[in-house]
Amino acid sequence: MIQSVRRAALILKELASEAPRLGVTELAERVGLAKATVYGLLRALESEDLVERDPASGKYGLGPAVLQFGNAFLDNHELRSRSLLWADSLATRVMEAVRVGVLNGPNVLIVHHVFRPDDSVQILEVGASIPWHACALGKAIVAYADPSHRSELLRGELVRLTGRTVTDPAAIELALERVSRDGIAVEDQEAIIGEAEIAAPVFGNLGTAVGAISVAGPVDRLLKDGPSPRTVAAVRETARGLSRDMGAGRLRARAR
Amino acid sequence: MAGRDGDAPLDAAFVLEWIRELAGQIREQRDYLTQLDAAIGDADHGINMDRGFTEAISAVPHAEGRSPGDVLQAVGRTIINTVGGAAGPLFGGGLRSAGKRLGEQAYFDAEDLLAAMRAGLESIQGLGAAAVGDKTIVDAYVPALEAFERELRAGGDLASAAARAREAAEEGMRSTIPLQARKGRASYLGPRSVGHQDPGATSTALLFAALERTARARLAVTEERP
Repeated sequence: MIQSVRRAALILKELASEAPRLGVTELAERVGLAKATVYGLLRALESEDLVERDPASGKYGLGPAVLQFGNAFLDNHELRSRSLLWADSLATRVMEAVRVGVLNGPNVLIVHHVFRPDDSVQILEVGASIPWHACALGKAIVAYADPSHRSELLRGELVRLTGRTVTDPAAIELALERVSRDGIAVEDQEAIIGEAEIAAPVFGNLGTAVGAISVAGPVDRLLKDGPSPRTVAAVRETARGLSRDMGAGRLRARAR
Repeated sequence: MAGRDGDAPLDAAFVLEWIRELAGQIREQRDYLTQLDAAIGDADHGINMDRGFTEAISAVPHAEGRSPGDVLQAVGRTIINTVGGAAGPLFGGGLRSAGKRLGEQAYFDAEDLLAAMRAGLESIQGLGAAAVGDKTIVDAYVPALEAFERELRAGGDLASAAARAREAAEEGMRSTIPLQARKGRASYLGPRSVGHQDPGATSTALLFAALERTARARLAVTEERP
């Protein structure tokens, strides 16, 4: 029974990582199970709307119920729900996009994203996963992680996303020390060419960083002659307010 | 330098003609490029590239008193300064590096151009750290340079090398459609980036298409001369 749950999860993950749809044979090959087994699981998942079968091609893709799961996850996420108003007002204040992220393994998962308020077309980044060392959100969180967690992350794979991504653990560690000294993390085109990010950690009631909030935008606006002091101040104040909402106690405030 | 038939030395005016041809093609394809970018980016690639190249042409109104390398560098700098996002530093930086490689010499040939374009590719890869298959400019640029060099080694002239490069670039451009983006903001879309042609690879194909046209036009003029 438990095995079939695991197998069903395997199928859902495979369908989520591959576009467009997959046929039963392809899917069976990818998950390493017999075709009949995969077919049975797909039928069960289909009856729950977790997968759907394209009538024309006979291939399978994720179903509409998955979207409800995703939304429910976001709605139940405390940092996300508490950050909504803070993020909006930060975006309006600095006229740039705002992102809220949490650490998920070695990646930052974007749980909230407010578009730059200028009517331009932008991609919704909620759900995006960014390697922690390549974004300001990740550096802000990891700088306040406990030392063993931090060294574990530094020992992990540090991929190069651009020519500016810092991948040397010693150099990243130095940068993290600067972050914990300043309370602000900066990223300069380390994830995307032309883009920069300024982030501050958000603390919860245990005094550890539960996530981070940032302003993200074109490098020539955010980091012209160094990080814009106005933006840094806005990010810092917003993170402080959000931390209070998340239950960060006075202990933390006194320690800083 | 001018070894083979139809391989007259190239000058600064040739470079400027190439850039003007490219600017014209980008203007024509502006909406298409923007539409491609709307699927996996900020829907501004065509608009930005058009603005940048229009600006570049007015920044370098004529080639007199400039070396070919100088023209490319001036164009590259203008693109860097006027095109936002990743496209400015990547395209502009590539052209600027190619111009630097051409140096101060007044004339160059197809071999020099190959070396210059290679320097441009190095700049692009140094900045973006992208490899073939990441769904970027590089997917069109790398096969185009390989085809260009192959044709030169087989004894082809600039026009035929540019034609092979354009074909390879277009093939590379189309090869980005089924790929999942691994660089840039498009990579945030994950599997949703599959099924869309990369706008940067599309502009790169235009770069080589413009080179082919300019080389053919130059060849026609040269052949008319007694």
